[in-house]
Amino acid sequence: MATMQRVAQSSVSTSAAATSSYGGSSSCKGPEVVISDQFPVGLRVLVVDDDITCLRILEQMLRRCLYIVTTCSQAKVALNLLRERKGCFDVVLSDVYMPDMDGYKLLEHVGLEMDLPVIMMSTDGKTNAVMKGIRHGACDYLIKPIREEELKNIWQHVVRKKWNENKELEHSGSLDDNDRHKRGNDDAEYASSVNDGADVSLKPQKKRSNTKEEDDGEIENDDPSASKKPRVVWSVELHQQFVSAVNQLGIDKAVPKRILELMNVPGLTRENVASHLQKFRLYLKRISGVAQQGGISTSLCGPLEPNVKIGSLGRFDIQALAASGQIPPQTLAALNAELLGRPTGNLVTAMDQPALLQASLQGPKCIPVEHGVAFGQPLVKCQSSISKHFPQSIVSVEDVSSGFGAWPSNNIGTAAPSSGLGGLSSQNGNMLIDLLQQQQQQRQLQKSQQQQQSTVPEPSRSINVQPSCLVVPSQSSASFQAGNSTVSVNQNGTFCRTPVIDYSLLSSQSNNSSLNIGQVSDGDLQTTGVLSGYIPPTSLSPSVSSCSLNADNCTSHQVQTSSMTFKASRHLPGFVHSMCDVQGPFGVTKSGDVFDQAHFSNLGYFNKEACLPTRFAADEFQLPMSSSSSRGKVFAENTGTRVKQEPSMEFVDNVKVGIPMLQQFPPNDLMSVFTE
Amino acid sequence: MLGLGADRLRADMNRLLAFLFHQGILDEQYLQLQQLQDESSPNFVSEVVNIYFHESEKLLRNLRSLLMDREFSDYKKMGIHLNQFMGSSSSIGAKRVRNVCVAFRAASEQNNRAGCLRALELLEHEYCFLKNKLHELFQIEQQRVLAAGVRYPMQN
Repeated sequence: MATMQRVAQSSVSTSAAATSSYGGSSSCKGPEVVISDQFPVGLRVLVVDDDITCLRILEQMLRRCLYIVTTCSQAKVALNLLRERKGCFDVVLSDVYMPDMDGYKLLEHVGLEMDLPVIMMSTDGKTNAVMKGIRHGACDYLIKPIREEELKNIWQHVVRKKWNENKELEHSGSLDDNDRHKRGNDDAEYASSVNDGADVSLKPQKKRSNTKEEDDGEIENDDPSASKKPRVVWSVELHQQFVSAVNQLGIDKAVPKRILELMNVPGLTRENVASHLQKFRLYLKRISGVAQQGGISTSLCGPLEPNVKIGSLGRFDIQALAASGQIPPQTLAALNAELLGRPTGNLVTAMDQPALLQASLQGPKCIPVEHGVAFGQPLVKCQSSISKHFPQSIVSVEDVSSGFGAWPSNNIGTAAPSSGLGGLSSQNGNMLIDLLQQQQQQRQLQKSQQQQQSTVPEPSRSINVQPSCLVVPSQSSASFQAGNSTVSVNQNGTFCRTPVIDYSLLSSQSNNSSLNIGQVSDGDLQTTGVLSGYIPPTSLSPSVSSCSLNADNCTSHQVQTSSMTFKASRHLPGFVHSMCDVQGPFGVTKSGDVFDQAHFSNLGYFNKEACLPTRFAADEFQLPMSSSSSRGKVFAENTGTRVKQEPSMEFVDNVKVGIPMLQQFPPNDLMSVFTE
Repeated sequence: MLGLGADRLRADMNRLLAFLFHQGILDEQYLQLQQLQDESSPNFVSEVVNIYFHESEKLLRNLRSLLMDREFSDYKKMGIHLNQFMGSSSSIGAKRVRNVCVAFRAASEQNNRAGCLRALELLEHEYCFLKNKLHELFQIEQQRVLAAGVRYPMQN
């Protein structure tokens, strides 16, 4: 792990210990000799506690663990220290109650600005206090008195965080992924968890990112332990208003008071706007940083920083993950929590459906949808505005958002009763039509229908695979879509539909999903303004169907296994899965793994605000993917044989294509991206 | 005899410690504290305890002044002080002080002024008792160190 190496190095070179001055607010330790190659040694810990008794004890304990300890008795000083010396600390231990700054606030800042694991500590072990800490993004919560044994283990948070980051990037098959995957397939539990556990787990993640603008609006999602104080719900619409107000004023001249006046929303206070503005600025800053960097590697880095949650994610179910993904701390996406609530509702309804298989399928699919929703939310605004611009667009913003929640459930309901393929296909067709109309692309519709028809014969093969494979593929498709979905609401809607289709026909599933994706991408393209990539997606679905046939032929071409950018790989998995559906015989588990990874990565990806450009890139990537698949059936085969490596192959192509796209995107004014 | 004196002082110390534990004045966290004392910080326990005394007296003063304000007692601030008091007390293993803090905080959360006053009295009493006993302990320890010429008696 990178962390370990880094830490080891640092410990070798110089590690500190020191004398700390208690009267002073902070004391940084001078160098001391602690030489060891063993990992936890040399971990750089910043301890913040206004109680200097505890501070001294903690310092001693941590030093006994051979960590490099810096103590600080004031939160503000600690924050300054963290800002001044970015990268000089691996983990932060913070008290909750401090006179100058609330520990939660510090936590929030740290999460927002430097993405360090923060461990909270307090004498107050009440559940709601702990919940609050977790919600704000604490990776652990220690109850005083703290024992040395507890501190010996804090390095795990550092490793976990880095590991998750790496996982996101490398999408290396990891235990976590597998676990999540399994859990995802667990339909029954899943359903139940959706209702109670997931909600709770979802919320915290949400909270951590947007502590101030968390939502009370959705009662269904509110867990009892949530703070009673009403908070501002930065819904899509509200945020839209906010953005337009900022645009009107100009980002440099935008001050909370003026924004508030322009927004003219009752109940909104200057403080609310101020904090939101602060976050928004940070977000813009981060995005612009990523944009400037350009290139794949840099874009990757962007995501790395932000993903604070992954560590915490590991503990939660997939849904929780999704939620976390939705609620990336620094992401503005997090602001739009409303939509999240709806998807969960959909999930529940979906779970009610009789067939377990379906349920299992739906579950995973729904989750991705949620992801998509969450991610899409920030973008949703853009789209909505875009749709407005489009003369023919039927869907208004509100319709989209509301339809969002409604669609999936409806689809599911219809799907369950209707076993007939025809019905399903027709539904799809309708859906597609809607989308097409919106996007003014009728060709796709025809194509898609054709595809579906063509796919019908294939199902027989796929049927064999279905029972085992089905779940995974569906997930994959869903997750895949989720990635795409970030851009537009419409896409999400399509996603939901795809799952429905999947139940009836596996092969059709893959096709459908691909089709949907294509559409989605189209939508994205229109919105984004990148026209070139979009056409390919439509071709995608047909290609997929053809791929399944090819798979039988199985001429495995070993393509270059080149280390791709992670994002691409993620997207690819989704693709791969669709392929897998057809090719059933392939290791289901493998595909599943990939799948999960794809899922996971998508989540992480989206979580980050910085990802905005990257998301677009992802969409673009998909386009190339689709095109590649359409070109070469070989690709499909490859994917079948080697699930894991395939992604990378495809990716390469994608990367080439996608990168330019990426660069194009960032240049656009961020604000404009938001609004337009 | 030097050695004999040291042994006797050691026995005194152990007796006192046993008493403090038995009375629930100290708990195992204090032993943790003792274990943290090593070559790099030979006087760690007394150093921490002195910090604790210093801070606690400040907190007690603050608490009293908050409660003495007849018109308006800032219970929230009181709660914050008590939280800190609890944290530090539990960190050095001052069990009884901590327990009184818990009761105090409960009273302050209910805005129970009378309860707070009672708790404050008790807290001051417990604190003084603890302080005396710990001073006694440190004194014996010091004598023992002098007598035995051993620096780290706790470690053996």
